[in-house]
Amino acid sequence: MQRIGLVLLSVPGYSETFFRSKIKGLQANGFEVLLFVFYPPKKEEVLPCEVFVSPPFNGRIFSKSVSVFKALLQLVFSAPFRSKTLFELDRSDGKRWATCFKNLLSQQFIMSKKLDWLHFGFGTVAVGKENLAKAMRAKMAVSFRGFDLYLSPLNRENYYSLLFKKAVTYHVLSLEMKADLIAKGVDGTQIHVITPAIDTSLFKAGHSQTTSSTLRILTVARLHWKKGLEYTLEAMAVLKRRGVAFEYTVIGTGDELERLLFAAHQLGISAEVRFVGKQTPKAVKEYMIASDVYVQYSIQEGFCNAVLEAQAMGLLCVVSNAEGLAENVMDGITGFVIPKRKPEVLARTIEKLLYLPSHQKIGLKKTAINRVQKDFNVSKQREEFINFYGS
Amino acid sequence: MKKALKIAIYSGDIPSTTFIERLIAGLSTKGCDLYLFGYRKKKVSYSKSISVFAYKNNKLDKALHLITYSFLLLLFKHKEKQHLDKILKTQSKNGLLDKVKCYPVLWHKPDVFHVQWAKGLGDWMWVQEFGMKLVLSLRGAHINYSPIANLELAAMYRQHFPQVDGFHAVSHAIAKEASKYGAPADRIKVIYSGLPEFESQVDAAIKADKDVLDLELGTSTPLQIISVGRPHWKKGYTYALDACHILKQAGFSFKYTIIGGSNAIELIYQVHDLNLQDEVCLSKQQPFETVKEMMQNADILLLPSVEEGIANVVLEAMALGTLVLSANCGGMAEVITDSQNGFLVPVRQSEAIANAVTQIATLSLERKLEILKSAQNTIADQHTENQMTSRMIRLYQEVLN
Repeated sequence: MQRIGLVLLSVPGYSETFFRSKIKGLQANGFEVLLFVFYPPKKEEVLPCEVFVSPPFNGRIFSKSVSVFKALLQLVFSAPFRSKTLFELDRSDGKRWATCFKNLLSQQFIMSKKLDWLHFGFGTVAVGKENLAKAMRAKMAVSFRGFDLYLSPLNRENYYSLLFKKAVTYHVLSLEMKADLIAKGVDGTQIHVITPAIDTSLFKAGHSQTTSSTLRILTVARLHWKKGLEYTLEAMAVLKRRGVAFEYTVIGTGDELERLLFAAHQLGISAEVRFVGKQTPKAVKEYMIASDVYVQYSIQEGFCNAVLEAQAMGLLCVVSNAEGLAENVMDGITGFVIPKRKPEVLARTIEKLLYLPSHQKIGLKKTAINRVQKDFNVSKQREEFINFYGS
Repeated sequence: MKKALKIAIYSGDIPSTTFIERLIAGLSTKGCDLYLFGYRKKKVSYSKSISVFAYKNNKLDKALHLITYSFLLLLFKHKEKQHLDKILKTQSKNGLLDKVKCYPVLWHKPDVFHVQWAKGLGDWMWVQEFGMKLVLSLRGAHINYSPIANLELAAMYRQHFPQVDGFHAVSHAIAKEASKYGAPADRIKVIYSGLPEFESQVDAAIKADKDVLDLELGTSTPLQIISVGRPHWKKGYTYALDACHILKQAGFSFKYTIIGGSNAIELIYQVHDLNLQDEVCLSKQQPFETVKEMMQNADILLLPSVEEGIANVVLEAMALGTLVLSANCGGMAEVITDSQNGFLVPVRQSEAIANAVTQIATLSLERKLEILKSAQNTIADQHTENQMTSRMIRLYQEVLN
């Protein structure tokens, strides 16, 4: 039985279905999964696997001292040889003594475990821990999920340069991400594309869609700049100027609510736009049943599960060409992919949908539903991960 | 002898923002006794007519502050202290920090208590019960967008605005916005921000010969565009960067610098995404003298904001002799008349920004000089520090009478 250590910043919440479903899938196929996190989980966050939380190395002096003392004990009694190897590997990478020593202490809570794979759930979590897997004699895997590949390195020079030199098996969400990693010097054979998957038993077309004379547009997104919602609102304002009767619903919460409410106000579309906050998957499904068009006009996007769900529900989808979205939706076949940061183009595309002959609409929806059911279901993804760890 | 007005300028922090510090300095030269209350971020040396009653952000200093004023009030203003405690209790604001904030104000009792930021108004309505007059400044985000997103805040404004004795509005646009929350129009006085005197390159250039004029005011290649300000969404830098993309695609040669824009991942990503690394520089914040110099060296000061009261950086650029291209947000149209003393474009329109930039690049030197002179006249006519402080004192006097 293979033992997989999954390293994340925190325990995935209930809404983060990807990691939860992945853990369950691996367990169902005979893998043992250990989860390592840096922030303690909330009481209600129960996971069906063992969770190891990093002791606090920041904060009050007392708790910091206890953590250091505990880590020193582990270093001496639990994993002295691995620690020695890690220290030597870090030093050979040119890291300073103090950094090597800090790494030794902060990574002790992982180091003493016996693992076949050490899998970092995000690229950012692997930074500074490039030698940990080797010191533990485990294989190293890193998942890139979008922001960690495209945003995190932007204001940090050579952020992944050390990681990319190591023997790592990579998991990415799209072919474009794979191409971008190859362009950064990673060997293509080390990179596996495993796309996200959705609960196709919940998000299933066939419910009778409600009808309305008003065009009902929906987006599910965290209220974050990378989701391009300000551009989307501008497109809605264009629609309004052209006399299109619509209502636009945004599901999700985030820091940018004030920015977006003000944009809607200034653009004169407050009456047409509503922000309904975070919703459960079941409620999201209900909103989808009551919508005609799904829009995901992101600026940066790894792949986007919500777009898969919308396609599975038979909604006409219009998305931007931000990274993985162009693979998520097949332009002209399962929906429409348009250039990002062009509100006029988005408005025009949505308007065109109004006049799309119904046989074309049905064709698009049917292809989208079949494709998502076939290619983006959880069991397919589980198989791909089993193959990933067999590599 | 006429008694000096005792005015409290309250922003919460000492020192406050540049424009509030300018107001404080200006008022202190007009024979007012100024009181500053609140939290001291760092030590500032003020003139003699400015008294600071501040606490540092540590428990000991706050405790000493509280003990001193509790003691003084108990001994000499016992009844008033009791009354204030009762008010604070009914408002559920009777924590120790509330008392640290309020007791010194009750003890010193200025004639006018001037609150700079509207969001904090609810904490100071009590001063009227003790004979102090309450004045509120209507500034930027606090009026223009926060109450749109925060309905509780809007309700607080609606409850308290009708009771405020006087309002200082930074623009007519913001005065109009505040009246939506019940601020009585007859109690609002529009007082524009004022600048200290700058030596403008326009004057210097006019005095010099034609060659120097050309050197000082001629358009550089590539065209130098500059924006100044923190990377907050209201600054609208995303629109400016989209405009840069349009300009680049059109083959237009330019260099755009956002001072204060470094470390904003949204902007860094946009520059990268639109392949503008050679044209755009996101620089860190700079001291005012450096900003001034960079502004003078630029061909255009661009303000792509979606919301502003009246942006001080625009006033400074106009005073310094740099052409301004501004989005028509908030009160900007009260300062800039398009193509007369600067350029105005509609908000959230990158295409319009790009078009205006190309238009400005083709201006003749004579036309440019006309616009710059006109901009300078605007500043001289309505944005001097002297005008601002005189009008503010008039507002205080009206409120007291």
